[in-house]
Amino acid sequence: MSDVVILGAGVAGHTAALHLSRLLGREHRITVVSPNSHWNWIPSNIWVGVGKMSKQDVVFPLAPIYARRHIRFIQAKAVAIRPYGDAESDRPAVDIVHTSPPEDGREERIRYDFLVNATGPNLRFGATEGLGPQHGTTVSVCTADHAVEAAGRLRGVIERCRAGEHQTLVVGMGHGTCTCEGAAFEYVFNVDNELREAGVRDLARVVYLTNESRLGDFGVGGMVFNEGGYQTTSELWTESLFRERGVEPILGAHVERVEPGTVHFETLDGTHHALDFDFAMLLPPFGGVPLAAFDRDGTEITQQLFAPSGFMKVDADYSGKPYEQWSASDWPQTYQAQGFDNIWAVGIAFAPPHQISRPLTSANGTVITPSPPRTGMPSGVMGKTVALTIADRIRRGPRAEAHRASMADMGAACVASAGANLRTGSAAAMTMMPIVPDYTRFPTGRSLDDTRGELGLAGHWVKLLLHYMFIYKAKARPGWFLIPE
Amino acid sequence: MSDKVQSPVSDLTGAPLPTERTLRYRRNLAVQSWKFALFNARILRMVLRGRH
Ligand SMILES: Cc1cc2nc3c(=O)[nH]c(=O)nc-3n(C[C@H](O)[C@H](O)[C@H](O)COP(=O)(O)OP(=O)(O)OC[C@H]3O[C@@H](n4cnc5c(N)ncnc54)[C@H](O)[C@@H]3O)c2cc1C
Repeated sequence: MSDVVILGAGVAGHTAALHLSRLLGREHRITVVSPNSHWNWIPSNIWVGVGKMSKQDVVFPLAPIYARRHIRFIQAKAVAIRPYGDAESDRPAVDIVHTSPPEDGREERIRYDFLVNATGPNLRFGATEGLGPQHGTTVSVCTADHAVEAAGRLRGVIERCRAGEHQTLVVGMGHGTCTCEGAAFEYVFNVDNELREAGVRDLARVVYLTNESRLGDFGVGGMVFNEGGYQTTSELWTESLFRERGVEPILGAHVERVEPGTVHFETLDGTHHALDFDFAMLLPPFGGVPLAAFDRDGTEITQQLFAPSGFMKVDADYSGKPYEQWSASDWPQTYQAQGFDNIWAVGIAFAPPHQISRPLTSANGTVITPSPPRTGMPSGVMGKTVALTIADRIRRGPRAEAHRASMADMGAACVASAGANLRTGSAAAMTMMPIVPDYTRFPTGRSLDDTRGELGLAGHWVKLLLHYMFIYKAKARPGWFLIPE
Repeated sequence: MSDKVQSPVSDLTGAPLPTERTLRYRRNLAVQSWKFALFNARILRMVLRGRH
């Protein structure tokens, strides 16, 4: 019998767990360790954040699904990995701390033969003073609960507009190294739509505050589209949308601190600014979830497994070479942890070798560059790829070839809806292939056939379809595995 | 705000604005049904072509 332990039940971990339950017989044990009892379709938090969906629409309990799939579920958070075992046994282990009553706070050590780290992002609100719903005055849509709070605050702003007050709404990135610009982009147009539906758009100033040096960068260095026989850019396409909707962009910004009602930031030219707001949704920078690692004798070896950012080092090129030498082949293919053939890191948990956008610093030396996004589609693909590798290693032995899925070989779709009505909704829908540009294969870095941007109602339908399809799949309903990641 | 430079909002006056016709197309059910089918086909093609 083999013990497969998966840390995290998000897009990557849950996908890996479901596929393993399909690929492996009952004689093997699959264990998912995750601190939350519920699964959350995070992309739809955007709709929760404007009040178009409720929390119940985007979350569901994991335990019944895992019981049905014969997966052991432990509601706990992992705190340490012991890849060489401990004084008691040479079997590798993970230290976990339970997070649900009655066991809340109880520590336990569980053994594994194969380990998947799919712990996603550590939401580092603390990186910027005054940022975030817990200790600051800005809201977030990163979790369903954050989004519920954001919707409440937005309602307040709309009420004040209805009473004739002018309001300033700021949406964007709360730090110069944030990622997930697509989410902030989507949220800003949903906010714009809410204000229009409420008939108060003329009383609201909507500002998009971002660390991108150009609109349409999205942390992937922007895209080139083939539009009517001409090559055009995601920058022009995005600028057009911002102009049409009257959303004011502030680019190349690093938020330094937030005071109640005022956001202070530095821009790439080195100047410092302050912007007063009545409502601010600013995303935090992401880091790796804090996990320590220990040798068999208890010596800490965290740096061996993890990058300083807290993300796990995998089969990527971390040599830190200059931007001009970056290539698609720097990106991981198997997600196997360096030095271990039984540990993998997938989704947001793996350490990217470098940014995708050109790295920039302000005149004062402040890094203001989007970190590379690891969105839902690639996270799911990585989860499935590692599940296939583990299943092969269990069935065919430890030498079985690892399955591969590089972000330089896979595409992504980013659908930013703006309005949730089937007839009047709209969306900015983008596809890119590959995510990491490969200039050895494509002159523009990406396939012009598959890299496109569209605006219109169809994108909104796609977003709705993805919402229902992925929740169906995550619930492991009949035929779930036929739905691609 | 006094000691700080005014917020540097980007100038978008050079960005193309959609025409009335383009805006109508973006809501036209027939056009959008076709675009919906194309978009899904493209995602599927990417999934199938991706080397994984
Ligand atoms: C607001 C928003 C909108 C987005 N919209 C889109 C979109 O439209 N399209 C798209 O493709 N992507 C989108 N994304 C990105 C997408 O959500 C992520 O790419 C995806 O969730 C990453 O999957 P993951 O499994 O790596 O992390 P997650 O899905 O975050 O899962 C991480 C899991 O690990 C668990 N965990 C945390 N700490 C521990 C621990 N110590 N031990 C064990 N488990 C732990 C968490 O509880 C969670 O279950 C959006 C993201 C945000 C924030």
